[in-house]
Amino acid sequence: MTLSSATDVAVRAEGVVLRYGRTTALDGVSLSLGTGVTGLLGPNGAGKTTLLRVVATAVRPDAGSVEAFGHDALSGPGRLALRRRLGYLPQDPGFHPSFTAFEFVDYVAILKELTVRSARHAEVRRVLALVGLDAQRGKRMRALSGGMRQRVALAAALIGDPALLILDEPTVGLDPEQRMRFRELFADLGEGRAVLLSTHQTEDVMSLCRTVVVIDQGRVRFTGAPADLAGLAAGRVWTSDSRAPGALASWRTGTGAYRHVGDPPSGALLLEPTIEDGYLTLVDLRATEGQS
Amino acid sequence: MSTWHVPDDDLRRYAGRGLAPPLLWSTETHLAACPGCRSRVAAFVTVDDGWARLDAALDAPRPGPVERLLVAVGVPDHTARLLTATPALRLSWLAAVGVTLVLTALVAHAVNPTVFLGVAPLLPLLGVAASFGPGIDPTYEITVTSPVHGFRLLLLRCVTVLAANIMLGAVASVFLPGFTAGWFLPSLALTVATLLLSSRVSPVFAAVGVGAVWVLVVSWAGPLPFSTAGQLSLLAAVALFSVLLARRAAVFDVLPTRRFR
Repeated sequence: MTLSSATDVAVRAEGVVLRYGRTTALDGVSLSLGTGVTGLLGPNGAGKTTLLRVVATAVRPDAGSVEAFGHDALSGPGRLALRRRLGYLPQDPGFHPSFTAFEFVDYVAILKELTVRSARHAEVRRVLALVGLDAQRGKRMRALSGGMRQRVALAAALIGDPALLILDEPTVGLDPEQRMRFRELFADLGEGRAVLLSTHQTEDVMSLCRTVVVIDQGRVRFTGAPADLAGLAAGRVWTSDSRAPGALASWRTGTGAYRHVGDPPSGALLLEPTIEDGYLTLVDLRATEGQS
Repeated sequence: MSTWHVPDDDLRRYAGRGLAPPLLWSTETHLAACPGCRSRVAAFVTVDDGWARLDAALDAPRPGPVERLLVAVGVPDHTARLLTATPALRLSWLAAVGVTLVLTALVAHAVNPTVFLGVAPLLPLLGVAASFGPGIDPTYEITVTSPVHGFRLLLLRCVTVLAANIMLGAVASVFLPGFTAGWFLPSLALTVATLLLSSRVSPVFAAVGVGAVWVLVVSWAGPLPFSTAGQLSLLAAVALFSVLLARRAAVFDVLPTRRFR
């Protein structure tokens, strides 16, 4: 199940507000998701998971609208239509420990309305093979490593070839090789479908995402191409032989030289900014604006 | 015998499980009556297909005793599988409920039948509290965002838990001095009250609260809830709580935001 073209918008959220008691988790967030991978960056507690939950129809916002595949996702029928085209990997996917990997994905397949046993089992085998767990499908969940469990949860999200895939920090706990495999998989999955990927891995965003959204304190601070986010730090990244106390961030690299992000002194040797530099600059700008 | 035989292409697709109804049905009917086509279809079943099917059969989840029982009484296999994830339907849980009921019945036999009537309705309450909800069902977030309506799954699990407890309660009633079903309506009323309260607080809090109120009522009123007037009042309570619960059904379709503060 895929979107028909790159211009298709799978989900459009407008002015979403969500409060947990006195805390405003989302404060007028607007977001548009089309084909390809959209990265969601932000500090801990910024509202990323809450935003994913709203888009995944797990929680209902206090205000604003969410439209998915042409339906009002906050209405009953619209919510059901979205759920039928959704694959969701929560930040903390729980498991029934006594289930095998196969049984767990089979259970989720039933929740996704795949009731014909032979077709369902074929689909379970397909998604488990997709995440490279063909050989481990008979193992109990409690016997699998954290990385393998994460792959099982991803397999469950891929049941039914969803048109919208929401992944909340899917690469947490994975080793570099597994992360690379996931990255390859996400790149493939982004072909012809909308993928919303929340992550702290800026390299994932740089290598995978067509669009990156930065959220902080419940508000969208940036929406654009990863290169544009990196561009926010243009002229603000430099290197020197010693620490620069006034810099926003300063660290000694493996070569022994220091890399700084912030306002450079005159004559500094400027470096090409990365997306991480852009993110740090953006967060600092917001903090500065907040103080002024 | 018919002169018509299934074309090779259809037999190949049949062997590869790629033939769709209604062609599938007519082919199966024909194969049952035609030895020639049966021998031809064998040629299209490759060894790899056979291994793949064997592999698939070995992969298929092996249903446990409760799941097998549910299927045996006519519950569709996919529904039975959804129910197996309910802690209160595990054999260990049901065994614990059964033992508790029998012991309570024996105590009631020796002391006072009201002991059994008071305790029996509390057990399904615990089962319901352990059936659904954040912190109870580890896959709750995935469940809530699935197309299966949360309220439907909640009712499915609760009805099954209640039915299992009622059957165990009926068996345990045999140990009482005189058979009594006075615990049945309280069980129903307390369960529906717990579900209703679960739309506002966590199922565990709801069960504890409702259970505490029930203990106070029985301690204060003695056998009154099990008299005709008491039972009619409980029946009215079941009807009222059910209507209110139906009106709160949508609440179970999303995560309770109070948990995620």
